[in-house]
Amino acid sequence: MPSKYIALPKGVSEKAFDAAIREYREILGEANVFTDADHLASYSKIMIPDSTDNHTPSAAICPASTEEVQRCVAVCNKYKVPVWPISTGRNLGYGSAAPGSRGQVVMDLRRMNKIIEVDPVLCTALVEPGVTFQQLYDYLQENKIPLWLSCPAPSSIAGPLGNAADRGVGYTPYGEHFMFSCGMEVVMPTGEVLKTGMGSLPNSNTAQVFKWGYGPYLDGIFTQSNYGIITKMGFWLMPAPPAFKPYVIRYPEETDIVDIVETLRPLRLAMIIPNAVVIVHALWELGSFLKRADHYTGTGSIPDSVVKDMVTKNKVGMWNVYCGLYGSPEQNEVNWNIIQNVVKASGKGELLTAEQVGDDPVFKYRADLMQGKMNTAEFGLYNWRGGGGSAWFAPVSQARGSETLKQMDMAKKILGKYGFDYVAEFIVGWRDMHHIVDLLYDRTDPAQLKAAHDCFDELLTAFSKEGYGTYRVNTAFMDKVADTYGPVKKEINRKIKRALDPNGIIAPGKSGIWN
Amino acid sequence: MKKKINQTAVLAGILVIGVVASAIAGDALAQAAGQWRDANHVYSKICANCHEIGVGPVIKGRNLDPDYYQSVVRHGMRAMPAFRPTDVDDAMLKQVGEMLSKSPAPGGSK
Repeated sequence: MPSKYIALPKGVSEKAFDAAIREYREILGEANVFTDADHLASYSKIMIPDSTDNHTPSAAICPASTEEVQRCVAVCNKYKVPVWPISTGRNLGYGSAAPGSRGQVVMDLRRMNKIIEVDPVLCTALVEPGVTFQQLYDYLQENKIPLWLSCPAPSSIAGPLGNAADRGVGYTPYGEHFMFSCGMEVVMPTGEVLKTGMGSLPNSNTAQVFKWGYGPYLDGIFTQSNYGIITKMGFWLMPAPPAFKPYVIRYPEETDIVDIVETLRPLRLAMIIPNAVVIVHALWELGSFLKRADHYTGTGSIPDSVVKDMVTKNKVGMWNVYCGLYGSPEQNEVNWNIIQNVVKASGKGELLTAEQVGDDPVFKYRADLMQGKMNTAEFGLYNWRGGGGSAWFAPVSQARGSETLKQMDMAKKILGKYGFDYVAEFIVGWRDMHHIVDLLYDRTDPAQLKAAHDCFDELLTAFSKEGYGTYRVNTAFMDKVADTYGPVKKEINRKIKRALDPNGIIAPGKSGIWN
Repeated sequence: MKKKINQTAVLAGILVIGVVASAIAGDALAQAAGQWRDANHVYSKICANCHEIGVGPVIKGRNLDPDYYQSVVRHGMRAMPAFRPTDVDDAMLKQVGEMLSKSPAPGGSK
C-alpha cells in the first residue's frame, strides 16, 4: 500500500511516524505541521546539482518558541525521527530549505522571528532564527538607531542567525559574520537549553558583550554542525560611521589577480582597508544583469575573447575590487591618500570614486552592500545561464597572489572541461581569501545537471588534492568534503555527536557528521 | 553639548535613542506568515525585491490567474525560490494572488 507521506524518515515505520505527527500537532497546532505534497513542495525546491528525490522531506514542523522546539525534540527522540532545522532557508546555492537527505522532517524556525533586543549603546542585537536581514534593517531604520548591519548578497529574505551559523560573510568591516556573533541559546538534542558564553550565568548582562565565558568556548561547535538547534544568537553591530567613502579599483587582465592581492594584502592587514574587500570577476559583474545567450551561443564555456569584448564594451574591469573607507572625513582622507599612493606605485589598476563612476547601478549596488544595505540584485546572476541551477564552490586560499592565480587557473580549467563559465569572486579576510565560484547551469536540462554534478565533484577532488579545503558546501557533497579534512577530524566530530545526540536525531549527515 | 555637531553629539544622540529603542524592544516589525499587514506589504517586502528590479519578470498587470501565482510561489520556478507557508500563509497568499491578478501594469499602462 502506498504511504500517505511523500517520504518517510529512514528506519521509521509509517505507524510510528503517524504517532509522531500526531504529537507534533498537539504541540504546534494543525496549522503548523505539514505533510501534504503541495506545502512540502516549498521545502523541496533546490538549485544544487542533485536529484530532488534525495532531499524530499517527510514533513515540516514550525515551532514558534524555544519551548515548542524543546517539546518537538522530545518527540523526535521518542520516535527516532530525524529533524533538519532551518532558519530562513535561503541558502540557495547550498541546498535551500530542503533536508540533507530524504525523509528528514524539516524544523522550520521562520515563525521564531523576534528581534529580542537591540542595545544602541553597546551596539549589540539578539535575534531569533526567523528574523530576516530586511526585518532587522527596517527595525533599525524605523527606530532611527544608527547601527549598520553586515549582510551577504543577496540577502533581504535571508537571516543573520542562519548565515552566521553557516559561517557566511558580508562586505563591511564586520563581514566575517560568525566572528561578530556573541552568545547563543541552543536547544540540545536532549531538550536542555544551553546558553553559551556569559549567558549560562544567572542574571548575567554580559552575554552579548563578552564572547568567551569561562572554560571551553562552545559556540563554534554549533556552527556548520548538528549538535543542537540554535534558537537565539547575539551580534555585534557596527556604529554608523560619520563618513563612508566607497571606491572601486578596476584591472584589465585576469592575471592581474596576482598584483591585486599583493597590493591590497598589506593594506588589509594594516586595516587601512577595514572592510571585507570583494574582488569581482567580469563575468560575475556583468552576469548579474546580462544574459549569456546574447553574447555567446556556442558550445563549451564562454571564450576569453568574448569576455574581453564584453569588458571593453561595458567599461568594467576583468577584475573589479570594491572597498570602502569608514570614519571621520579626516580619517578617510588620510587613508585615501595612502591607498591612492599604493595603487599608483603598483603601476596597475584604475582607482575610481563614487563621483568618478557617476550613475552606475553596479557600483551603487556594491556601495550599498558595503554599508549593510541589502537587496536581491545579485539573483540576476541566475539569468546569466537560466534554468535555475546554482552550486557555490568555495575553496579557501591564502591571501597570496600566486595562490589565487593558481586557484583561478585550476577552476577555469575544470569548469571549461564541462562547458561551464568561470563566474567568481574573491572575498578577502585578513590573511585568507574565500574564493567563491558560482557553478551556474540549466537545471531543466538533465545533461547539464549531470555535468554540473560531475564538475563540482571534480573541483572538490582536484582542489583538495592540492591542499585547498572548501569552507562550506551544498548538501549533496557534505560527506565528500568531510572526508577531505581527514579521518581524525571526522571521527572526533562523530564522537561529539554520539555524546550529545545519542539517537542521532538532529540533522544527521550535516557537514558529514553522522553518529 | 546638545548643540555641538561633532562625534560627541552623535554619541549623545545614540544614548537618547537608546532609551526609546529599549522601550520598544521586542516589537519587531516581523515579515512572516501571520504578520503581514496586507497583500501589498508582502509584495513590497518579498516579490518586489526581484520583480521590480529586472531580476524576475514583471508580475503585475499580466492578467494571470490568481491560482497560478499561488502555485508558482509555493513551488518556485527555475531560479525563483519557493516560499513556504511560514513566509506567507495560504490565506494571505490567496490575497496576494488576487491582488496581482487584478493589478495594473507598473507605470499605469496595461
